[in-house]
Amino acid sequence: MRRTLEGYLFVSPWLAGFILLTAGPMIASLYISGTSWTMLSPPVWVGAQNYTRLLGDDHRFGLSLMNTLTYVALAVPLGLAVSLLLALLLNRRVPGRGLFRTLFFLPSITNLVAVSLLWMWVLNPEYGLLNGALRMAGIDGPLWFQSEQWAKPALVLMSLWGTGGTMIVFLAALQGIPGELYEAAELDGAGTLGKFVHITLPMISPAFLFNLIVGIIGCSQVFTQAYVMTGSAQPGTEGGPNNATLFVVLYLYKKAFQEFSMGYAASIAWVLFFLILVATVLQMKLARRWVFYEAEQQ
Amino acid sequence: MRLNERSQMPLLAGITLRYALTYAALMLLGALFLIPFLWMLSVSLQDAQGMFALPFRWIPDRPRWENYGTALSAVPFGRYLFNTSVITASVLALTLFSCTLVAYGFARLRFPGRDMLFAVCIATMMLPGQVTMIPLYMAYARLGWVDTYLPLIVPSLFGSPFYIFLLRQFFLTIPREYDEAALLDGAGRLRIYWSIVLPLARPAVATVTLFCFIGTWNDFFGPLIYLNSPEKATLTLGLNMLKSQVIGSGSVQWHILMAASVLVMLPNIIVFFIAQKQFIRGIQIGGLRG
Amino acid sequence: MTPRAQWLAAAALVLASCGTGDRKTEVEYNCPANALEIEVLQREIARFEADSGIRIRLNPFSGQDKLYAMMAAGKAPDIFYTNSTMRDRMAAEGRILDLRTVSKGDSLPGRLWPHVIRNGTSADGGWYSLGNWEFTCGVYYRKDLFREAGLNPPDSSWTWDDMVSLARKLTRPARADGRGGRYGIFIGSHFVEALELMTGADLPGEMLTLRIPAESADLYRRYVALMDEGIMPDLLRMQAMGMQPAQLLQNGKVAMLVEAVPNQSLIEAMTEPWGVAPLPRFPGKKPAYFRSASGGLSLSASTRDPGAAWKALKWIVTEASTYQPNPVLRDVDFTGGWEKRYPQLLGSGFRQVWDLSLEHNGGDPRFFVRFSSWTSGPILERLQPLLDQVWARKKPVDSLLAAVPAINSEVRRELAATSATMTMKPEFREKIEQALKEMHDHSAF
Repeated sequence: MRRTLEGYLFVSPWLAGFILLTAGPMIASLYISGTSWTMLSPPVWVGAQNYTRLLGDDHRFGLSLMNTLTYVALAVPLGLAVSLLLALLLNRRVPGRGLFRTLFFLPSITNLVAVSLLWMWVLNPEYGLLNGALRMAGIDGPLWFQSEQWAKPALVLMSLWGTGGTMIVFLAALQGIPGELYEAAELDGAGTLGKFVHITLPMISPAFLFNLIVGIIGCSQVFTQAYVMTGSAQPGTEGGPNNATLFVVLYLYKKAFQEFSMGYAASIAWVLFFLILVATVLQMKLARRWVFYEAEQQ
Repeated sequence: MRLNERSQMPLLAGITLRYALTYAALMLLGALFLIPFLWMLSVSLQDAQGMFALPFRWIPDRPRWENYGTALSAVPFGRYLFNTSVITASVLALTLFSCTLVAYGFARLRFPGRDMLFAVCIATMMLPGQVTMIPLYMAYARLGWVDTYLPLIVPSLFGSPFYIFLLRQFFLTIPREYDEAALLDGAGRLRIYWSIVLPLARPAVATVTLFCFIGTWNDFFGPLIYLNSPEKATLTLGLNMLKSQVIGSGSVQWHILMAASVLVMLPNIIVFFIAQKQFIRGIQIGGLRG
Repeated sequence: MTPRAQWLAAAALVLASCGTGDRKTEVEYNCPANALEIEVLQREIARFEADSGIRIRLNPFSGQDKLYAMMAAGKAPDIFYTNSTMRDRMAAEGRILDLRTVSKGDSLPGRLWPHVIRNGTSADGGWYSLGNWEFTCGVYYRKDLFREAGLNPPDSSWTWDDMVSLARKLTRPARADGRGGRYGIFIGSHFVEALELMTGADLPGEMLTLRIPAESADLYRRYVALMDEGIMPDLLRMQAMGMQPAQLLQNGKVAMLVEAVPNQSLIEAMTEPWGVAPLPRFPGKKPAYFRSASGGLSLSASTRDPGAAWKALKWIVTEASTYQPNPVLRDVDFTGGWEKRYPQLLGSGFRQVWDLSLEHNGGDPRFFVRFSSWTSGPILERLQPLLDQVWARKKPVDSLLAAVPAINSEVRRELAATSATMTMKPEFREKIEQALKEMHDHSAF
């Protein structure tokens, strides 16, 4: 009883916030998803109509879902790999690593306007850095954001460059591994790879799970970069060449704020919510096999 | 930890080679990450056409430092800096307070409904904000909070699922025996939270501090939606005012915008540089275990 | 009187003068989030307040998400910008005021060009937005490059074919290193419709369905042919380059360029000698020069003092210096004002282009004007990807024509579904229902 009370007391700030601030708007949006709402007049109840249209009759939603899935499948694993690699490098006790840490984190603190201009320049097909480098290797680079095939990879590239946050979480986890674990392993004759597989990976697995789940949730809702990078050429082109970057949240944004269909947008959001939920629950279930929590050991 | 590193002479050669390799990799990657920042810096010191020069000129003939002066005077920079600092400091303090407590509860206490509640907490991140934005706005408007800092600050009192999740993951890596030993010594839960878990999870707390600072400092959407009066604006809104064009005409002063961007970035860099030192653990876990 | 009583008396006076009021008459204006404009406006509103007793409170932001959130919460700014897509919907749902009622007896409507009021009028005949800016477009060209090639600059009677042959003569192949090449002309895809007007294509505003007249299709083919022939740079490549059009002309990457007139950033960026000509004509077709009409300022229906809001709106359009000289006003010297600000406009052809556009006003055929508020979104999200493909020369123009019936039947279905659940004024509902019926009758397409 005392333990229960203590537990609820500790989580009470979040619980209060959930009840007061989060639950209301969430329930409201669930209700809205069952209505036709222009935001200008009161919503009109239409039942499941939005959902039947969305799931039965909207191939652009299907397209946006596929786009999002592709993006998640590229950005999440690559992001994890790159940031873990950077974190491992930065975890080395080399002089000046503070400077390098700052360097790798720079993109994450640059404001979006500057970042988008920058990437327009880096990925400029003729004068950009990347195609310039490709040209030196004898390759004629693509049009990136204006190319149906390369617009998504271009956004993935952008996200990899801004992976500083994920890297920092890994770094914090690496810093938390007690040195004597390695020393003990060395005494047992473990090599570099052995230490990495048997000590480093299990010890950072909670952080890995965090980055994985947050990565999936975040990338599934990719919006701002796509809106800014592929929609700025002229109004109405959000979604990129032949809708190559029409992601789910971008699609719902267009529905809500360009077509006055907030009800429909809310139903898209809830379908996405459900899909992310399934993916996360799956990951959490799988995680029991590979995540190592010191505090849960008996 | 490695007190006798220096005495291990036979290993030195191997270590040196490793250092060299590590450095080579760091330099190469570092350049990749640095180039864009140098580009920003370079554009910020050129004239309005500099960004479009073909090929791009990295070092301007005459660096136009006055661009920074222009950027500072184009918007009430001092006032926006103050506004942003007030918001960021409040959000940071409240977030650290609430998130560490909640994460402690989720990570180290066992109580009925805990896992269910935690799942709900994570799930609230999964609904795109675009569809809860209007109901939330309506609620704040009813409270009379629009055009005040309250909608930006008060939610942090209740913690954010992202930080709670992050801290929980780290709290879970601390062996439970510590709590149990402390409980036997008669320490209360709050005391364990404060004097054992928080210090041991210092890298994680530093990470959250960093994320929270940067997230709030650079937040654009929150201030955009909830603040109306120009004098209440934040730095990111100020930057946006430099970007958008006068109706029907006007050219964006990219060089000034870049100078302002660099200025807005600076505090982030400083905070990062300080925070990253905290990643090095203060207390040795091994010393306690035993 | 004691100070307290004085204060009370003053408060009573203020209360009495405001009618509804709990405080001084205040009008909230959602101005563009632009540092320069805010600074100038803030200085000038003080003067306006002293003269009129109306305080204008600035709320600078852009983005429909915030506007709709404010409207949903019943906190709409009193004055805000609407484009014609938003305007009709807001008018139909009674969220913005008919300016005819608030401007009764005012001199302003008489000072506006008639088309300005027409452009702000919705299906029920109400006047819902006051245009605060207009522009036309023309062909900018580099005088020196024309001279170099021994060519005469274009005049107002030049035709599309003249333009193509000039572009051919001005095109230069790139050097071996891939640099130094020049294209004869560049036309951004968003200006294609301005040229469509010149072909005599019938492009009525407020269309509920997609229709591509034969003249338009012909123009699309001509447009794509410019790229095929290599006298216009590849459109996608240009978009990917993210270059500002002015840079293309300034760098000599193109010799001619279709752009907005006037275009401040172009005027400021150009140091090479340039001129501007009217859009090329098509033989036998009446010229119809593009004039933007896509938006203006509207008054919220929730405004507490419509009279004051109208006065503020009028002041913004006619007095606030950021918009002056304002091209929507008949009685100001717009061209003269711009020539004074930018002397390089003298002798550039600017005045001729401007005057022609007033004389042969073709209006604004752009998508969001051409398609009504109710269908522009559904049409565009289907059409734009196809257009992308056509401009990228991955699909022929005919594929566009072939797709029209399918797009229209989908749009019709969506319109029927949404209009059934929408709350709107009867005049608007009748129009939509009638259109739906007509579309149904023609559903053979």
